[in-house]
Amino acid sequence: MWKQIVTETNRQWATLGKYHTRLWPFAPAATFTFAQQPTARKLTSTSAAKPTPPKHDWNRAVSEAERIVGYPTSFLSLRWLLSDEIANVALHLRKLVGSNHPLLKTAKHLLYNGKNTMQAWGLIVLLISKAAGHASSVPDMEQDKSAGVLHSQRALAEVTEMIRISHLVHNSIVNLQPTSEAGKDTASYEDMAFGNKIGLLTGDYLLGHSSAELANLRNQEVVELISSAVRDFSESQFIGDRDEQNNPLPTKPGSEPPETNGTATTESIDFDVNDVMIPMNVLKAMGNPEKEWECRNILNAGSLLGKACQGALKLAGQDEDMQRQAYLFGKHLSLAWQACLDAEPFQITTLPLDTTFSLVSAPVLYHLEYDPSLYDEIEKGKVSVEKIDYVKIHKAILGGPGLEKTKELQRKHTTAAIGVLEKFPATDARTALENIILAMQDL
Amino acid sequence: MACLSTSGRKGLNVVVGTRNHQTQKHLCKLFWQQKISRSFCSNAAIAAALLCKNNANSMSSLLPQRNFHGVGILLQRNAAITTGQDYFANMHTNTACNSSSSGPTSTTTTSSPNVNNKSSNSTIITRNCRQYSSVHTQQPAGPVREIQIDPYIILEDDLKYFYDDVRDLLRQGTSQTELDKIASYYFDGQGKALRPMVTMLMARAINYHLNKESSNLVNKQRFISLFSEMVHSASLVHDDVIDQSDIRRGKPSVNALWNHKKVTMAGDYVLSIASIMIARLKSDDVTIILSQILTDLVQGEFMQLGSKETENERFAHYLTKTYRKTASLIANALKATAVIADADENIAELAFQYGRNVGLAFQLVDDMLDFVSTAETMGKPTAADLKLGLATAPVLFACEKYPELNPMIMRRFSEPGDVERAFELVHKSHGLEQTRFLAKKHCIEAIRLAQELTESPYQKGLQVVADLVINRMK
Repeated sequence: MWKQIVTETNRQWATLGKYHTRLWPFAPAATFTFAQQPTARKLTSTSAAKPTPPKHDWNRAVSEAERIVGYPTSFLSLRWLLSDEIANVALHLRKLVGSNHPLLKTAKHLLYNGKNTMQAWGLIVLLISKAAGHASSVPDMEQDKSAGVLHSQRALAEVTEMIRISHLVHNSIVNLQPTSEAGKDTASYEDMAFGNKIGLLTGDYLLGHSSAELANLRNQEVVELISSAVRDFSESQFIGDRDEQNNPLPTKPGSEPPETNGTATTESIDFDVNDVMIPMNVLKAMGNPEKEWECRNILNAGSLLGKACQGALKLAGQDEDMQRQAYLFGKHLSLAWQACLDAEPFQITTLPLDTTFSLVSAPVLYHLEYDPSLYDEIEKGKVSVEKIDYVKIHKAILGGPGLEKTKELQRKHTTAAIGVLEKFPATDARTALENIILAMQDL
Repeated sequence: MACLSTSGRKGLNVVVGTRNHQTQKHLCKLFWQQKISRSFCSNAAIAAALLCKNNANSMSSLLPQRNFHGVGILLQRNAAITTGQDYFANMHTNTACNSSSSGPTSTTTTSSPNVNNKSSNSTIITRNCRQYSSVHTQQPAGPVREIQIDPYIILEDDLKYFYDDVRDLLRQGTSQTELDKIASYYFDGQGKALRPMVTMLMARAINYHLNKESSNLVNKQRFISLFSEMVHSASLVHDDVIDQSDIRRGKPSVNALWNHKKVTMAGDYVLSIASIMIARLKSDDVTIILSQILTDLVQGEFMQLGSKETENERFAHYLTKTYRKTASLIANALKATAVIADADENIAELAFQYGRNVGLAFQLVDDMLDFVSTAETMGKPTAADLKLGLATAPVLFACEKYPELNPMIMRRFSEPGDVERAFELVHKSHGLEQTRFLAKKHCIEAIRLAQELTESPYQKGLQVVADLVINRMK
C-alpha cells in the first residue's frame, strides 16, 4: 500500500538515465559507463531543435562531461560513505527490509539503480563553474588545476547533492497521525515509526553536514543563498491541496486563491534578486497551469540547482550579472528536465499496471484547464491519491492537448537554458552542458 | 530603574504576549540599517526627555545602569545620555506596559544610586523577584547565595521581544500560512528561554570584560541567541516526529496536530531561516562555530540509537551523547558571542567551557527530574526516558548497586515490567543523589570559570544561572 506514497519521489528518480546501468557510488572515476544500450524510444516532436548529430546519447553526454571536470563529484568520497553515521543507517535500514517503508525505496534508488539525477546535479554545478572560469585573483592553492574548477566549487557541488538527498529522504517520511490510514494500521506501525526515525535522522545528518561544509567555504553570501534553497524545499511541500500522505493535488479549477500570509512576496514567479529571505509569490500563480507548475517545480528543484550554480560563480568572484545568468541556467535546466520527466508516462498508450504519476505534473495541469471535468476523478484522491483511477486519467490526457503542451513547455525551458549558455565563452564545459541538454530532449 | 525592574515581571511571557505591534519592524532592516535605528534613538531620546520631567528620579536612577554597559563611570554627561538612549526608549515602552497591566509601580528597592560603587548594582534587583522567575527554583543554595540577581530581569531588554522577533523572522520567510504556523508553534513564549538567556548573559559579561559597549555588537550577539533557540526548537520539532510523543510543554505536540511530513519540513524551515540570519552577520568564524552545533546534534541522536557499548564505556558514551545533544548548543553559542566580540582565544574557550559545563549540568538535572518530578510540573510525562529505552545517568549509577539493571539496559527496557522495576531500583539506589552530585560539580566548575571574567551584574548572573540550573524544579 505504500507503493503510491513514493510516487512523487519516484518521479524524480525515474529519470533520464533510463538505461543507465552503472552502480552509482562504486563506479571508479575513469570508467563511467557500462553497456551503452541504445535509446529505445525516439520522440516524435524533437527534431526541430537539434539538427546535428542525429542522436544524442545521454550516457555519453554525461560521461564525457564527467571527464571534463575530473572525477564525478567529491560526494562520492569514501569519507562520506564510510562515516559512522551512514554505516549506522545502513545497519538500521537492514531491519526495515521487508516492511513497506518508502525510505527503502528512496535508498534503493539512491544506491543501486543509478537512475538518479543526483549525480548530474553536482556535475552541472561543476560544469557551469568550469564554463564560467574564475577571477584571476583566486590564489593557486584554491584551484584544482587539472579539472579547471575551484576546490570550493567542488565542495559546493557536494553540498548541493547532500541537500537534495536530504530533502528526498525527509520526503519519504510517512504521516503516522492517528487519523491517517497509516496511523491506524497497527500491524505496520512499529516499522513505519522506526523507518521515520531513521529517515528523519539521515536527512538531518545530511543537512547538518552540508551546513558545516557550507560554513567552511567562508563565504556568507553563498551560505545565505543555499540556506534559502533549503527554505524553498520546505515551502514546496506546503503548496496547494494535499492528501493524507502529503501528496500534492492540483488546485480545483475555477477556485478562489487562498488567503495569503500577509507577508512580502516577490512580484513575479521567481525570487527577489536583492533579498533571498523574501519567499516566492506562489499564491498568485495557483490555478494557471503553466505558472502553477513553474512555481511548484522552481521551489522543488529549480531553486537549489539555480542557486547552487549562482553560488559557484560567486565563489569564483564572477560579477553579479554572470551569477544571475548562472542562476537562470540552473533554473531553466531543471524545469526542462522536470517537463521531460512529466511527459514520460504519457509516451505510451496504455499505462502499465500499478504505475502512477504525479497529479501536479504538467500534462495533468494542462488537461484540467482544457477539461475541468477531470477534476471529479482527482477529487477522489482527497484522502489518498491511491483511490484515483490513474488509467482513466491517463486515457483522458492522451485524448487532450496536455502532452503536446508539455513538450512545448520543455522546449521553452530548453531554449532558455541554451540561450543563457551562449553568454558563456565557448569551452569544452559549455559544449558538455549543451550536449546534456540536447540528450535530454531525445529521451 | 524601578520601573525597569518591576514592569516586566509578570514574567517574560506576559510582556511578550502583549507586545504592541507598533514597533514591529522588519528585522532585516534592523540588521543593517543603522541609520534608521539611530534616528529611532534620537526620537526616543526626545520622548524620554519629556518623560523625565514627570519622573524626577528617572535620570538619576538611570545613571547606575550605565555600569551594565561597561561605560566608564566618569564619562561626560553627554556620553551618558547617548548610551542611555536605548534605555529611555525601553522605559517608554515599559511604562506603556505597566499602565495596561497593573497599577502604579510602587516597589522601589533601588538603593540610592551610588554611581561610583559598582557593587550597588547587585542591590538594584528586587529581593522577591526570584519568585517570578521563569525558572522555578528551590531555596537558593551555594556560594552565590547573597547575590540576588535574576538574570531574566537584567536581560529584560534583550529578551522581552525575543519570541516576537523569532516569529517575525519566520513569518517573513514564507508565503505559506500553515508552514508559518507549525514553525512558530513552539515560539509561543511559554518556554524557559534558557539558551538565549545564558547566551546573552555571556555576551554582555564578555562585552563588559572587554570594555566594549557598541549596541551593534549586542545586536549581533542577540542574533546568536535567537539562533540558539531556533535550533533548539527545530530539534524539538524533529524529536516529536521521532518520539511520537503527544504532549510537550503542556500542550499537544506538533506531530499530534499536523502531518508528519509537513512537521519535518517545518523543522528544516526553521533551520534554514536561522542559517540565513547567521549568514547575515557576515562572520565566517561564527558560522563555522554554529554549524558545529548542527553536526553535534545529529551525531548525538545517532548515539542515542545504539546501545551496543559495553558496561565500561557506557558512561563515557552517555556523557559524550549528552554533550552533543545538549551542551554543544550552549557551549558553541556562547563561544560565538565571544568570537564576534573579537575576544581572544582564552575568553572564547572560557565561554565555551562555561557553556559546556552548564549544558551538561542542565541535562543531568533534566535526567534526574525525569525520575522525581510529576507530569504536571514538567509539562511532559515522567520516566519518559525509560519508556523510550534510554538509560540516563541515574540508571547508570544505580546499576553499580543493582547489576540486574544491566540486562534491562541492554534490551532497552523493552520487556513488560522493566520500566517500573528500573524506576524502583533507581529510587532505592543512590543514583539520583549521585547524578545531582555530578551536576553540581559541573556547576561549580562553571561558576569558577565565570569568576574569571571582570565582575559585573552579568558575570554575577552567569553564576546565578549555574545555581538555577542545579536547583530548578522543572
